[in-house]
Amino acid sequence: MSDTPSHGPVKSIMPKWVRGPQDFVGGIALIAIALFALWASSDLQGMHGFSFGAGTAPRMFAVLLLGLGIAVTVVGLLTEGPHLATYAWRGPLFVSLSILSFAVTIRPLGLVISAFATFLISALGTHETRWKETIIVGIALTAFCSFLFPYGLGLPMQLWPRFLIQ
Amino acid sequence: MSDLFSNLALGFHVVFQFVPWSPAWLGGVSIPIPANILLCLVGALVGTLVGVLPGIGTIATVAMLLPITFGLPPVGALIMLAGIYYGAQYGGSTTSILVNIPGEATSVVTTLDGFQMAKQGRAGPALAIAAIGSFFAGCVATVLIAVLGAPLTKLALAFGPAEYFSLMVLGLIFATVLAKGSVLKAIAMIVFGLLLSMVGSDIETGASRMAFNVPELADGLGFATVAMGVFGFAEIIRNLDAGAEMDRDLVQQKITGLMPTKKDMIDSAPAIVRGTILGSILGILPGGGAVIASFAAYTFEKKIAKDPSRFGRGAIEGVAAPESANNAAAQTSFIPLLTLGIPPNAVMALMVGAMTIHGIVPGPQVMQKQPELVWGMIASMWVGNLMLIIINLPLVGIWVRLLRVPYRLMFPSIVIFCAIGIYSINNAPVDVVLAGAFGLLGYWLIKHDFEPAPLLLGMVLGPLMEENLRRALLISRGDATVFFTRPLSAVLMATAAFLLVLALLPSLRKKRDEVFVESET
Repeated sequence: MSDTPSHGPVKSIMPKWVRGPQDFVGGIALIAIALFALWASSDLQGMHGFSFGAGTAPRMFAVLLLGLGIAVTVVGLLTEGPHLATYAWRGPLFVSLSILSFAVTIRPLGLVISAFATFLISALGTHETRWKETIIVGIALTAFCSFLFPYGLGLPMQLWPRFLIQ
Repeated sequence: MSDLFSNLALGFHVVFQFVPWSPAWLGGVSIPIPANILLCLVGALVGTLVGVLPGIGTIATVAMLLPITFGLPPVGALIMLAGIYYGAQYGGSTTSILVNIPGEATSVVTTLDGFQMAKQGRAGPALAIAAIGSFFAGCVATVLIAVLGAPLTKLALAFGPAEYFSLMVLGLIFATVLAKGSVLKAIAMIVFGLLLSMVGSDIETGASRMAFNVPELADGLGFATVAMGVFGFAEIIRNLDAGAEMDRDLVQQKITGLMPTKKDMIDSAPAIVRGTILGSILGILPGGGAVIASFAAYTFEKKIAKDPSRFGRGAIEGVAAPESANNAAAQTSFIPLLTLGIPPNAVMALMVGAMTIHGIVPGPQVMQKQPELVWGMIASMWVGNLMLIIINLPLVGIWVRLLRVPYRLMFPSIVIFCAIGIYSINNAPVDVVLAGAFGLLGYWLIKHDFEPAPLLLGMVLGPLMEENLRRALLISRGDATVFFTRPLSAVLMATAAFLLVLALLPSLRKKRDEVFVESET
């Protein structure tokens, strides 16, 4: 169940006195998020009289998150915990790229091209992809989606590139 | 009592309603069709279909399928979503039994005995008993919702803003105590979610908060966007880590003989009843509802069994009890949502998201103003369960075939499907990019052992909490003690504090971990 890596002791970049690197780094990130939120909401109005201003609640929760972040960091410092998990680069990179490419191409190029390209780019996310079957499945799925969303579900969506329609 | 029957009658009337349908290709001829029943059926089927796919949990399934309900009328959309939810749960159980991969957290314990039964060639009875148990639990839970719904709504109407705020605090604390993993980190995730919900324009003053003048952020972060990022995309990226060729121990022999023997039925009947009771109670409590229910039911069965060593080796009670419990809990978790408007877990949070998209604000008012919606949904739960048992057992063969679809082909398909789904909500490419960013955030969270479910819960409850906090303090003229001086609110707050202390006590923490440890041994 747990996702903590079991593949041997990973060489830690953390100093020795950090006993639970996973929580330590996690806590620091929470602190950073809280500080960012405090900064981002600093221009908002605070309490006036008995009523909340627009900035009261965000600052309140940001301070709370700051406290919790510090607590998690301290826990990471003091108690024995799992090491930092190893990150893969291939999956995250290509899946993000494919999502990005969809967002960029859907408007100008339409659903058919955009979906198929997205499928192929995300398939790069693993080295196990076999291109022949991937292309066949990609075509089938693109056809399915082009039918399902605009016709089956009645969602307004452009299928073909804009310059072809005009 | 007569209220109860008239309410249920109204519900069933809504579900069995015939609507004239006149598609263009029929040339003006209209045929009456039972639209809501069909939606429930389609929902249950599609939910199972997606839920069976390994690596997609219940929350991800509901999030992914949310956009396909947007074009429907509100009642139909919610009925279909409820169907999707049960279908996804049942799909998760199917994979637990057949491939030893729990599709979702609630069916983790089912793998223990379910997969063993399958290995012994008894996959059929295991699947059948899971369905029968779920159906029984569903019947009981439906009645329970109908019985408790009206009185709880009355109670809810007596709540002022202070009580509402305290109730939400209690709910969130419950959610962290009953969930797996560190309480501290779960609370941090809730607060992070609350903070995310603040992005966009302020309800009262209209001031733009933390939106950095990005027009797409002016209305706040889309709920479906975050959910699909954190559950859909993040899961995919995480699964790819392990390599697409996931270790799948598919049961190869043909499944013959679906029907359990008489002895199976006698053995599992009491387990089903006990699981249903336990699940119904735990489901009403906010928090991990269905998850903890299935773990608790399994642990309980093992404790009271004459021969506990049978468990883990294909004991049918080990399938019957948790499956009944998680289904009962899945349904009774609708009670706080429908009566109080407070989602007790992430799936219910998605339901709230769906309701808001249709312009419905869940809460006691809905029960009074739109009874056909609420009771129709309750009736559809029972119908949905019936459908699961009727359609899914004969279709087991198809589900097995789906399990053989390799992940390397499945994950790009999920990526496209999610991307189109998110885009279709507002026709905004920025939403897709945001979902991708939340996918990466979700991946990071998983890597640091932060649970994403409390984040989602916090995000949904954020606006409600802020509004009630503001109103409570305005009414009390800025006096923060109001939460502790109004009796009802004080009781709720005290319970929350008590629970939190209990959860942080070392001795109880050990007990809590014990319940979950079952899955790892």
